[in-house]
Amino acid sequence: MLVNNEITKKTSAEGVPRIAVGILLGVLAFGVFIVGFDQGEMLGFTVPADGSEGNEPGTNWAHEFYHDMRHAAGFPCH
Amino acid sequence: MKAITFIAITLLAGAIAGTILGAINQVVVEPYIDHAIELEMLQQNTTAQSGQVITNPAEFAAYRFWQKGGEIIAGTILGLSIGSLYGIVFAYTRGSISGTNNNKKKALIVAGIMWLVLFLMPALKYPPNPPAVGNPETIYYRQSLYVAFLAISGFSALGLAFLYRKMMVASSNNTKKKVIIIPSAVYAAIMAGAYLAMPANPDPINAPIDLVIGFRITSAITISMFWAVLGVIFGALWDKANFISNKIAARHNCNSS
Ligand SMILES: [Zn+2]
Repeated sequence: MLVNNEITKKTSAEGVPRIAVGILLGVLAFGVFIVGFDQGEMLGFTVPADGSEGNEPGTNWAHEFYHDMRHAAGFPCH
Repeated sequence: MKAITFIAITLLAGAIAGTILGAINQVVVEPYIDHAIELEMLQQNTTAQSGQVITNPAEFAAYRFWQKGGEIIAGTILGLSIGSLYGIVFAYTRGSISGTNNNKKKALIVAGIMWLVLFLMPALKYPPNPPAVGNPETIYYRQSLYVAFLAISGFSALGLAFLYRKMMVASSNNTKKKVIIIPSAVYAAIMAGAYLAMPANPDPINAPIDLVIGFRITSAITISMFWAVLGVIFGALWDKANFISNKIAARHNCNSS
C-alpha cells in the first residue's frame, strides 16, 4: 500500500497518460470552436431554422443552438 | 489512475458543470438576452435594412425557445471542452501545488487560477455583450482580438507555471512560500502591458447601459459559478476514483502475494 502510493506520487507530475491528453485536447478544440467561434464554417451545412440561406447570424439552426451560450460565456458574437 | 478513468471523470465533471451553467442561465441571464433581442428586433424593424426580420410573434417565440433549449446543450458541450482542458492542467500541476495535500482543495485552486486566466482577464479587456450590441461586420476582427488576448493570458500563465515549478525545485524549504511572488508579478506585468497595448472593441454600445451591465454582471456570476462547480465535482470524483483504484490495487496485491 505504502509502496504503491510512493509510485503514484513519483509519476504524478509527468505520468499523465498521453492518449488521455490527446483525446481531451480534441474535445477541447472541437467544443470551444463550435460554441465559441464557428461562423458557419463547420456547421454551416445544417438546415437554417427559418428556411433561408443560413449565412447570416439568426438563420442557421446550429448557430441558434449555441447562440445564447456564446453570449453568456463572453465570446464575441453578432 | 488509468487513462480511461481519468478521461471519464474529466468529461463527467465538465458535462455536469456545463449543464448546470446552461440551466441556471435560463433563469439568471436569459431575461437580459430576451430583452436585448426584443430591442434588436425593434431596431431592425424600424430601419428595415435586414432581410431576416422575424415579425410573426409565434414564430419568434418558437425561435427563442429553440435558442434557449440550445443553450443547455451548448452548456454541456462547453463544459465538456473546458473541463477537458481543466483535467489536463490539474493532472500536470497537482504535484506542484504546495501548501496542501488535499486533492479537493487543489482542484479548487486550479479552477480559480484558470478562471482568472481564461475568463476574468479577457472579460476585463473585452467585456461580454448581450445581443443588440455588436456589428456583424466586425465579428472576425473582434474574434481575433479576443483570441489574441486569451492566448497572451493563457500562454503567459503556462510559461510561468513551468518557471514556477523550476523555481520550486531550486528553492530551499523556507523560501518555497515566496516563490509564487515572481511568476505572479511577471504575469500581472504582461497582462497590464497587453491591456494597454491591445486595441479596444471597435463596436459602440448602443443598447441601454443598464441592460448591458446587468447582462455582464449576471453572466460573470454564472461563469464563475461554473468554474467553482467544475472544481468541486472534479476534486470529489478524483478522490473517489483514486480511492477505488487504490482499493482494487490493494486487493490485487493480497491475491497475488
Ligand atoms: Zn449573438
